[in-house]
Amino acid sequence: MTEQENGRITLSIRNLRKIFRGKQHQVQALDDVSLDIREGELFTLLGPSGCGKTTTLRCIAGFEKPSSGRIDFLGRDFTSIPPFRRNIGMVFQSYALFPHMSIFENVAYGLRIRKLSRREIEDRVNRIIQLVGLEATQKRKPSELSGGQQQRIALARALVYDPQLLLLDEPLSNLDAKLRVYMREEIRRIQQQAKVTTIYVTHDQEEALSISDRIAVMHAGKVSQIGSPDEIYENPISIRVADFIGQANFLACTVRGDGNPLLSFRSNETITITNSSGNIQSYQDREGILFVRPEQMEISGDPNHPNSLRGEVKVILYLGSVVRYYIEIFQNHEPQEILVDQDRRVRGVETGDPVAVLVHGQEAKLFPTEQKRQLEKV
Amino acid sequence: MAREFRQRLKAFEFTPYLVLGLALIILVVFIAYPLSKVVFNSFIAKGDAPGLRNLTLANFSQFSTSTLYRSAFLNTLTVGLSCVLFSCLLGIPMAYFVAKTQTPLKTFFLTLGTLPLILPPFVGAYSWILLFGRQGVVNYFLETAFNYKLPDIYGAPGVIIAITMSTYPFIFLLTYGALISADPYIEESAEIMGASRWRVIRTVTLPLVIPAIVAGALIVFMRSVGNFGVPAILGGNFYVLPTLIHFQVTGFFNLNAAGAIAMVNVVLVAFAILLSQYVTSKRSYVTITSTTQAARISPSKFLKWVGTIFCLGVIFFSLLPHLTVIITSFTEGWAGTRYPNKFSLQNYRRIFEIALVPIRNSLFLATTATVVASVIGTLLSYINVRRNLRARWILDLTVMLPFILPGIVVGVAILIGFSSGLLILSGTWMILVVGFFIRRMPYIFRSTTASLSQIDVAVEEASSITGASWLTTFRKITLPLMAPGILAGAVISFSTLMGELSTTVILYSARWKTISVAIVEYLFSATIGPAYALGTILIVLVLSAIFLANRILGRRMSQMFKMV
Repeated sequence: MTEQENGRITLSIRNLRKIFRGKQHQVQALDDVSLDIREGELFTLLGPSGCGKTTTLRCIAGFEKPSSGRIDFLGRDFTSIPPFRRNIGMVFQSYALFPHMSIFENVAYGLRIRKLSRREIEDRVNRIIQLVGLEATQKRKPSELSGGQQQRIALARALVYDPQLLLLDEPLSNLDAKLRVYMREEIRRIQQQAKVTTIYVTHDQEEALSISDRIAVMHAGKVSQIGSPDEIYENPISIRVADFIGQANFLACTVRGDGNPLLSFRSNETITITNSSGNIQSYQDREGILFVRPEQMEISGDPNHPNSLRGEVKVILYLGSVVRYYIEIFQNHEPQEILVDQDRRVRGVETGDPVAVLVHGQEAKLFPTEQKRQLEKV
Repeated sequence: MAREFRQRLKAFEFTPYLVLGLALIILVVFIAYPLSKVVFNSFIAKGDAPGLRNLTLANFSQFSTSTLYRSAFLNTLTVGLSCVLFSCLLGIPMAYFVAKTQTPLKTFFLTLGTLPLILPPFVGAYSWILLFGRQGVVNYFLETAFNYKLPDIYGAPGVIIAITMSTYPFIFLLTYGALISADPYIEESAEIMGASRWRVIRTVTLPLVIPAIVAGALIVFMRSVGNFGVPAILGGNFYVLPTLIHFQVTGFFNLNAAGAIAMVNVVLVAFAILLSQYVTSKRSYVTITSTTQAARISPSKFLKWVGTIFCLGVIFFSLLPHLTVIITSFTEGWAGTRYPNKFSLQNYRRIFEIALVPIRNSLFLATTATVVASVIGTLLSYINVRRNLRARWILDLTVMLPFILPGIVVGVAILIGFSSGLLILSGTWMILVVGFFIRRMPYIFRSTTASLSQIDVAVEEASSITGASWLTTFRKITLPLMAPGILAGAVISFSTLMGELSTTVILYSARWKTISVAIVEYLFSATIGPAYALGTILIVLVLSAIFLANRILGRRMSQMFKMV
């Protein structure tokens, strides 16, 4: 992570716009997208479907022509270069293996176009197939391989000619859950070994957090936030990002007093927060929305526990590594459900019991009240 | 500035525009131009210079003044409607029996039920006279046994029977396709609600396949009002529009009048298309979903046997003329005698003396036209599917027009288009190739469009991002993946061109007679033996082409006709 922080910028995207014109209406797929991709990093475009992440990737590949804006690769203007002269490797969501060619021919395709000698083609195909961990499949046709194997071949085909840039378009979405986790580690390993600058598109936030050096969260054709996985998770820039990444609770409150500020909720309950926490100082005597992750709270069986919110346990879900409590609290007589994750079951607390929810003040963060509508849209 | 321009020029890929542009130019020159010229010329009197000042309706006035014209128009309408009716009566029950009952021999019925589409109907037409004519075998038996004689087969009855027997497969195959792909759960849910079996058929099964039946009926109508060969052989004084057109062209070389009749013929077809669209759009149909669940089969033993007998009967009756052709070709004479007598190869010996040239011509013309149609049709379907053209429907319509239009109308259009003006082709083999290729290109276009839309665009994008130019991608990825579609279209094109008559009859010249023209000439001069020997050779050539293609493609014949 740190070594890339100062890495050279290889791909620079400036003010990219893309408008698709349909018969009746037009859709603005990209609205002023600017990104800088550093050499050797794995950069992820993350967002819900329709956010523009795939369009951005297809503009970089050259399959879509941006309506305006610039894409520069190592100082060269990319926009006027056709896809086949860009020297990019790409893995498609459907893998897009050539169904009429053997695995060997699929991987060798890019090398044959580059007119390498037969020996060299064989050498490099063998080496890359070894790198992706597949052997003895070379003579088979793509249809005879499993999804995971096809995925590896697609990766091998994209990497074999040493592209300057690797693009991955939702590469894991067609695999089952367990294989998906395994393959994302594999992709990370292969990417590190090949030392290739990589842009990865996904809608799966967990995948993005685990694999990326940096992430750009996108929404409605715009980039909402760019940062490392921990920055994005711990310090989201808006309610929208906070809500999209991981699980989140949002509670309306007012900040009172200075020194040690007091969060006062509509239920007339108050929580005292240490001075140094988050951005709470700047909300003094104003309303805000408290953002707190489920694992940043604690449940106490004693409903009168000080410095906490009172509520009632509605559902207890055992999720393996954590136990998730759905707790109903009252905000101005309106019930609101919040999520609290605990490492293990809290002794003596069952469904229907009154409980107190403690907020770990150090991690609390406030958002302006106006952002609340971002939540309702989702 | 200039440098940037040069850079942009270098980045621009010319090849696709060059190749695809060429295909579009061919489309304009060989389809759009002659078709618009025939429309224009039909409003010009014969001998007048084509110009806006000479526009007249004189060519059309014949339809109100001449009884020949009027009866030809009414006859055409009668033939078209009767053929639709009888094709439905044969095709729908047959489709139901094969798709929904325990009738055995399903593959057999499907394969033989496709044959009439490929075998040229005019070849067998004369057999109806041999079998059911005044001197025919059947009449002989009826007369000796019951003292009864069938009504005369010449004229309307013969024409309608012969055409129906070659068009019912459209209804049969399309209805069958809809029946087996309909969601069986829909029927089951009707049944669970308490509907009887007959009620399910009436209220659920049949209404769901109505779009398929309408589509089939439309093709049957187009085929029967455009058929030239059958009324030419069986019609006698029973004129229909195609024979009237032929009469105007060969009798008076009045291309303008022929063009006007052709226009009327086209209006009939256009009216049928509009009607069929009106019928299907009036009802809303859920798209038939493709579940993995197979169609539900009726367990009734009664339906099983009724179905078997019905299907066998239809198949036998529809292939009877062609069987007669084959059997008769090995005899020294049947026409005029009660039974075929003395089997020999005499007819074939004679054919190899006199008819080698037509066979060679047909092979050459059909092959050339198929190759041209395959190349252009493939490129055009590529434009249609892969390039985001605004005016895609214009492309689609232009390519498909010659499929919709009666063959003789296409023939007239090509003759008018290329017998004067910049490009004069009349009298050469090239004019036949032009007529052939534009009439068969729709088959290639449809089947390649189908196979191309099944290829994931990402596969081509993967090739291009790997470094392949447009041409390399097209050659190494797109073409190989389209190959089955091209081959399927090409085989149907080739095998139906071998016996093509209605376009040929307008465009052929003394040096470029085809098998079909030779057969008709022999039939007209009552040399049945050689005609049938040549007919048999034609049938064998057509069937072996289809058989070979089935082997290569590994699919059933009925599946190859999916796109029509």
